[in-house]
Amino acid sequence: MAAGSVSAGRWTNKERVLIFSSRGISYRTRHLMQDLRTLMPHAKPDTKMDRKDKLFVINEVCEMKNCNKCVYFEAKKKQDLYMWVSNVPQGPSAKFLVQNVHTLAELKMSGNCLKGSRPLLSFDLAFDREPHYRLLKELFIQTFSTPRYHPRSQPFIDHIFTFTIADQRIWFRNYQIIEEDGSLVEIGPRFVLSLVKIFQGSFGGATLYENPSYRSPNEQRRFLRMTTAARFKDKQVMKEVQQLQKGRELQTMPEDPTHDVFDTPVPEKVPRIELAPPDPPAPPRHRNRPFKRQRVRRRK
Amino acid sequence: MKCEWCRCWPEPRGAAVRGPPGKGFRCDEVGSMARGGVSDSDSLSDSDSDLSDSELQEAYSKGLLKPGLNVIEEAEKHYINNVMGLKQCFEDFKKNLNWVERLDVTNGPADDIIAKAEGRCLGQETSDIDPGDDFQREMCFYQQAQATALEALPRLHQQKIATKRPSDYFAEMAKSDQQMQKVREKMISKQTSLEKSEKAKQLRALRKYGKKVQVEVIQKRQKEKKAMMTAVKKYQKGLSDKLDFLDGDKTFLKANKESGGSVQQKKRINAKRKYKNEKFGFGGRKKSSKWNTRESHDDVSSFKAKIAHSKSNHFGKGGKKNANKRPGKRNRQKMKNRSRK
Repeated sequence: MAAGSVSAGRWTNKERVLIFSSRGISYRTRHLMQDLRTLMPHAKPDTKMDRKDKLFVINEVCEMKNCNKCVYFEAKKKQDLYMWVSNVPQGPSAKFLVQNVHTLAELKMSGNCLKGSRPLLSFDLAFDREPHYRLLKELFIQTFSTPRYHPRSQPFIDHIFTFTIADQRIWFRNYQIIEEDGSLVEIGPRFVLSLVKIFQGSFGGATLYENPSYRSPNEQRRFLRMTTAARFKDKQVMKEVQQLQKGRELQTMPEDPTHDVFDTPVPEKVPRIELAPPDPPAPPRHRNRPFKRQRVRRRK
Repeated sequence: MKCEWCRCWPEPRGAAVRGPPGKGFRCDEVGSMARGGVSDSDSLSDSDSDLSDSELQEAYSKGLLKPGLNVIEEAEKHYINNVMGLKQCFEDFKKNLNWVERLDVTNGPADDIIAKAEGRCLGQETSDIDPGDDFQREMCFYQQAQATALEALPRLHQQKIATKRPSDYFAEMAKSDQQMQKVREKMISKQTSLEKSEKAKQLRALRKYGKKVQVEVIQKRQKEKKAMMTAVKKYQKGLSDKLDFLDGDKTFLKANKESGGSVQQKKRINAKRKYKNEKFGFGGRKKSSKWNTRESHDDVSSFKAKIAHSKSNHFGKGGKKNANKRPGKRNRQKMKNRSRK
């Protein structure tokens, strides 16, 4: 398997990446992690880390495993996935929010590549424009490129990792090279990274860069809730305003002198005072008047 | 202080906190919305804000507060962008490796051959991508990868590094064979479903046309039959002596316009006609010929035991399928009594 790679040269670029995650990750994240481990032969797995431990513990873990890079997946609230990419002893490190994860197992991605073959890394031109992107580019190159003559690597180069910047996010794609003329098929996985912060040290240290266009998922959810709540609250406010207006005293209008211009005088009625009790009502003339049939019979 | 709307605790962010006494503090996102919708006079939050009167008095005496209506200003959030730090870090961090070790290429998207041929202006930057437009975005990524491949592969060939896997090199792939089988099956199923739907559409169209043709043919046949019957009746009644209408099948049909399909129908009619003619002979005059005679009754040549004794409906009239399936009244009663006991 590795016949071509080992015998031809010596492995000098000793890069080892530790890829692991915290507890509470979803199945998609787990598969993504496994996919990355498959694609990167210079990667080492590790057990899940308890989230109670502080992040600088990771540095010690990496040291124990003799790794000098780390990709750490952190899941918060079982919903949000953050990815840390770090150069372990001295730094720098970067934290990203990962979205739109599609794994290798998706049936729409029909490409395939050798397990452990070296990738070509393709970066967007925008990576050279800003200093923070340049730093990120260097970090990605050192982390994701498979060292030459690595014992588990394959000698052929048949896939490309693309990192593109669009919409202030970094989009990752993995394509298989079918023909030398440039026809490609996507292998997967694919994800989108939103940069949160770049730190000077590994998993800590001074903040070198903070992304102004980053919005934490909590903020986003809150914003959505606020907009729905604000509509309801506006209605309530209107109701209370109406209540207040009801309670207010009615405005008294000034007296209108022309109010009773058209009143016609009515003669006053003399009140009749009865001194004697009224007469009893006359008894009814016909009590129990019989029905017509009987009346007719009687008449006959 | 606590936001009156959403009960969050946004930082005052450095600015000196000012505010009118009766009004509660609202955090920026909500405050701007709320201020637009609700007028100041209808403030709900007459409840005590965290700014007590005594504190305000102190601030006023110190000169921090000025008379008049004070509105809380939010300080601008400063995002850290330590350019020097970044550059320094980059210098410390970067490794000067050969390109062969890194295999990285930075480039824009590859030129679209079609667009070039059409002479459309190119120079589509990645900043122009509308991330909502999925197709355009993916095409942009694809083109970027293509450009990389076109640039890097010749370079690798120059350095005598093999890029293409030879056909006899078998090694473990990133996706197992099972997975690739599933992928292939999915693609095939998609294709077949597409073809099926296409076929169904065509069939539907054909059926419509076929129905039209069928109606025409039936009408033609009916017309012919009517003409034939009148001719036969005429002969039987003795109005005409000639039996021309019998041979005149061809003349009859030729008189009407022949279409391509009628040739086949003519043959079919002739075969059936032939059989019946053989069995019963030519009609002739009705009164003089008998067709339920002793000879015809005793003639059992057309009896086929296999067909007569078979219980399937295939040879028969195509009778009701359910004819034998339901037991008769007596049997049903029997079954009922049996089950009741």
